[in-house]
Amino acid sequence: MAPIGQIVRPTPGSEALARARQRAALIPDCLVEAKRIANTVIAGWHGRRKRGIGENFWQFRPYADGESLSRIDWRRSARDDHTYVREREWEAAHTIWLWPDMSPSMMFKSNYAPVSKESRALVLMLALAEILARSGERIGCPGVMDPVTARNAAERLAAALMHAPLTGGLPETGMIRGFSDVVLIGDFLDPADEVMAQLAPLARRGLRGHVVEIFDPAEETFPYAGRTEFADPETGDKLVSGRAESIQEAYRIAYKARRDNLGQALRHLGWTFTSHRTDHLASEALVAMHMYLSGMPARSAPGGLR
Amino acid sequence: MSALPFAFASPAILFALLALPVIWWLLRLTPPRPQAEVFPPLRVLASVLKREETPAQSPWWLTLLRMLMAAAVILAIADPIVNPRTNTLSAAGPMVLLIDNSWSTSVDWERRVATAEALIDDAEASETPIAIAFTAEQSHDATPGTAAAAREKLTAVAPRPLRPDRARAIEALRAALAGTRPGTLAFLADGMKADDTDRTLSALADLNPAELRLIEGDGQSAVALTGASNTADAMAVTATRLNSSGPALLALSAEDNRGRKIAAGSVRFTPGETQATGTITAPFEMRNDFARLTIDSQATAGSTYLLDDGFKRRRVALLAGEPTDAFQPLLSPLYYIHRALQPYADLVEPNETDLSVSIPELLNSNPSVIIMADIGRLPAETYAPVERWIANGGTLIRFAGPRLAAAPADDPLVPVTLRQGERALGGALSWAEPQPLADFPPIGPFAGIPKPDDVLVKRQVLAEPTPDLAERTWASLADGTPLVTVKEINSGRIVLFHVTAEATWSDLPISGNFVEMLRRIVQLSKAGGATAANSAPAAAEALPPYRLLSATGVLTAETGTARPLDLARNPKPVTNFDNPPGLYGSEDGFTALNLLPQGATIAPLDPASAEITVAREGLVGGEAWSAKPALFFLAFLMLLLDSLIVLFMNGALSIARPRTAARTLAVLLALSGLVGMPHGEVRADDSKPNDGEVFDRLDTTHLAYVKTGENDVDDISQRGLAGLSEFITYRTTLEPGDPVGVDISKDELSFFPIIYWPVSASAPMPTNATISRIDAYMRSGGTVLFDTRDQFSGLNENGIASANGERLRAILANLDIPPLEPVPADHVLTKSFYLLSSFPGRYNGGQLWIEARQDTRNGSNSSSASADGVTPIMITSNDFAGAWAVDHQGVPLLPTVPPDEIQRDYAFRTGVNIMMYMLTGNYKADQVHVPALLERLGQ
Repeated sequence: MAPIGQIVRPTPGSEALARARQRAALIPDCLVEAKRIANTVIAGWHGRRKRGIGENFWQFRPYADGESLSRIDWRRSARDDHTYVREREWEAAHTIWLWPDMSPSMMFKSNYAPVSKESRALVLMLALAEILARSGERIGCPGVMDPVTARNAAERLAAALMHAPLTGGLPETGMIRGFSDVVLIGDFLDPADEVMAQLAPLARRGLRGHVVEIFDPAEETFPYAGRTEFADPETGDKLVSGRAESIQEAYRIAYKARRDNLGQALRHLGWTFTSHRTDHLASEALVAMHMYLSGMPARSAPGGLR
Repeated sequence: MSALPFAFASPAILFALLALPVIWWLLRLTPPRPQAEVFPPLRVLASVLKREETPAQSPWWLTLLRMLMAAAVILAIADPIVNPRTNTLSAAGPMVLLIDNSWSTSVDWERRVATAEALIDDAEASETPIAIAFTAEQSHDATPGTAAAAREKLTAVAPRPLRPDRARAIEALRAALAGTRPGTLAFLADGMKADDTDRTLSALADLNPAELRLIEGDGQSAVALTGASNTADAMAVTATRLNSSGPALLALSAEDNRGRKIAAGSVRFTPGETQATGTITAPFEMRNDFARLTIDSQATAGSTYLLDDGFKRRRVALLAGEPTDAFQPLLSPLYYIHRALQPYADLVEPNETDLSVSIPELLNSNPSVIIMADIGRLPAETYAPVERWIANGGTLIRFAGPRLAAAPADDPLVPVTLRQGERALGGALSWAEPQPLADFPPIGPFAGIPKPDDVLVKRQVLAEPTPDLAERTWASLADGTPLVTVKEINSGRIVLFHVTAEATWSDLPISGNFVEMLRRIVQLSKAGGATAANSAPAAAEALPPYRLLSATGVLTAETGTARPLDLARNPKPVTNFDNPPGLYGSEDGFTALNLLPQGATIAPLDPASAEITVAREGLVGGEAWSAKPALFFLAFLMLLLDSLIVLFMNGALSIARPRTAARTLAVLLALSGLVGMPHGEVRADDSKPNDGEVFDRLDTTHLAYVKTGENDVDDISQRGLAGLSEFITYRTTLEPGDPVGVDISKDELSFFPIIYWPVSASAPMPTNATISRIDAYMRSGGTVLFDTRDQFSGLNENGIASANGERLRAILANLDIPPLEPVPADHVLTKSFYLLSSFPGRYNGGQLWIEARQDTRNGSNSSSASADGVTPIMITSNDFAGAWAVDHQGVPLLPTVPPDEIQRDYAFRTGVNIMMYMLTGNYKADQVHVPALLERLGQ
């Protein structure tokens, strides 16, 4: 009897990218609802129509006494008798950090799902990156890529992942500054307390987080029967169950309780929590994420979409 | 039989091997292998699934291991025997068994019996009659008979502690066979040749058997002890062995008469050597208790050597005509005897010089030997007891000398009649040259000692020639005059050296032969002394067996058919059936008879000496051995291995459970640590109560004074020595510590170079024990400075002494003090630091008395020689301490008489000189030679 679940090879970046493009094409451009930004963003990455800190030229204005001499634009001032100060337009693109869990447990794929959890997570992440880049947001991946604002951010993210594949859990997040959005995609199979211990410091720094839990149908439904030896792909621990079907119900309850705990705790932080099953369409999760990022209220019940 | 080198005792069991495939199938038939599933949310599952199960499928190699285990057990039960015995008995005639049951067969007697029984079984199978004979038996019944009769004879025989008498056994066989040609003749030999002309095998060949088998066991390992002798520091043991091929190191042990092991030694054979000498090192007192020597690894009669009284240490009493002069030891007549016999005997000397008292006293101490050096006449009443003692077995050794030469000729304690006066050889009025010694005659104890070439005899006493003089002479000069003569009286003897015991008449006492000669005479004497030999007349007759040695080297009281040992007729008995080895005599005194005579060797039997082909075989059970234990052991090992593997596979030792693993590891480490832990160095606490004080005294030089018990005197002494210490510290490099008041009756004195003793008539008189402590202190190099503190009491004045002087005389009366003199003008004391001409204290004018210097011309040794010429005693009356005494400000406490500060200064200088003299000895005295040395150097 062939095993139900298996560990598959990591998904190649290019393949994930192609699939992500397909998914992303279905989704309208994502407008990130940025509550913390004073003005409402109308067209994504456009400037704020006012002077400020930015890259693009906004206006020259006459130099006022008392201002720092270093701010004088001498090239413009040389044209006539006045001195001018160059001002730039305030551009405030929102930064969104995407992070997929690439630990060994994510490589799991059962017979009931077309792809592995890791594959689905990558697709989700890249599709999000594609959508958000289209909207002019800054896309980053902690430990892999610094935030960039580029139309081809998804490609760059895919390339960066190929060169620096993520392996373990959440990497160093010190570079993530406040007022950013964090999208965490993984299976979060650790006990809820451990997960929250990792995430709570991020929330305390003012980050807005969106957690997407990817799970395989076999993990939820526990379709095993008979004498079965279960092996944890991460620790290598083994458990042998003489009659696996006998514990199916207990397992399902425990599994659902774990997810509910995690969702509750995240919502307490003000984060959003989305569950996604790999035998469902990736677009489902993408739409849900899109809505969360756009600030639309989640329609779904606690526990995420099915 | 089969061509295989092994056979199975129960081959039917081997059919069980057919079951192995079934076992294999059963082993594979385990619970189904669980479906292996990767399951990431294992932790969730683990919270649900509490109980664990282990994988039950064993890998193929584990199954193979278990199969091998089963196969090993089956094979072991089938009892494979490697090298099984085969039966190829010749049926041409009766089988003849000749079996050695001599001493060396006791080691493997069981196997010899088994071999013989196997041969008897073979003969029974082929229905041939059996003739059986044993070589160490008294009577032989070799008539060919049935197997049952042969077995009966075989079981009745045990190894005997004897050497085999094969010739008689073969004769008995020849008589029993009466010309019948035997079929197989098997000779179960102990592997030893009886002597160099051993004809055993050719005699067997003469019986003309169809087949001659020589069956030898591992009698090759036979080792025998053939001799033991007491040397200066150890018991030398001679051993011989049969197998001379390789090196061997055998452990020897010595047991006392109750069988306790009291000393151990070893004997080492080098390859190719059949005889070696080992030693058992033990103190003499302990060697006296040796009753027998054994080789640890063997228990045969040959490897046991019995010791008798001949090995006991003798008690030797020394008597000299003139009192021992401690100052001239080399001229003392007993000095060389003392040195020669010290390692071999207990020496006792009388406390009294009066012979009428000392001789009974010595006889009471029951010596084996009395040595009299140059005693002319004994007190008349002592002759009778001495003669009685000699008659009872005592040995009297006398040395000649001027007194003996002058003694009357009818002395009963002289072995020969002596001529009056001595004979001088090589003197001014003699033409004769000093005589060397002749070869020692073969009779007497000196036989075998090489002739000493370096001994010249210049004077001797001469014996009147008598017919039996030659046979009573143990040593003589080159011209034939006797040097050592002897007379036997009953069981005792008188030995006379015709020279002196010191080196004045001859060089004999200073040659090495003197030691050997004395040692042999002493060894000859009876150990228990004369009184133990009260039964001496009986001892001269045949000695009944007292304890006999069994074949396994154990002494038994069962004497069996042993006969008394007749030493009178046969002074060098050998063991035979009538006289097996053992102790002969009675509890009071016995003689040991050992299996092998002194110096015997054992040699292997040479089959080439027979004129017939000899088939050599080993004993049953030697080559044929069962592989059963080995197989069982192998199976057990595999079981252990299997258990370990199962433990590993269950994860009991895996690192997946670090805590269990750590615990297991800790237990293992603790166990191994318990086994191999280097035990912490534990030292006995040897500190003594006063160690701190002792170390303090040793660190710095302290001046010391005797506490008289009178406070004023002791205070002045203490302050005086403190003042002197201060002065010495200031003036010289010597920095003494605080002065110490000593209680001479109990304090340790040896730390102090000098002790100041203010003599006070009113203080209690020291006891005799205290005086002897002072005496010992002075002998060991210390110096006592007596101060009578009274200038008017000269020692040499006309008998009118002060009270202190009287007390000093009383003290000195008990001390062994040398002659005294006032310090001479050129004595070291006058120049050891300051140049002084007088030695004042508080008073001036009293003399400082010191030991009189020995006259160089008489060259004799003085007691102070050991102390580098420093006088052990100084006596003054000038009250040094009074002059030295200062208070804590350094102000003198007492005025000098007359009041003269220069005199006080001289008193201090005197103190410095005395201290320097104490500490440097005659170093300054050597300076007087400086001009002569410089002159010799050509400066």
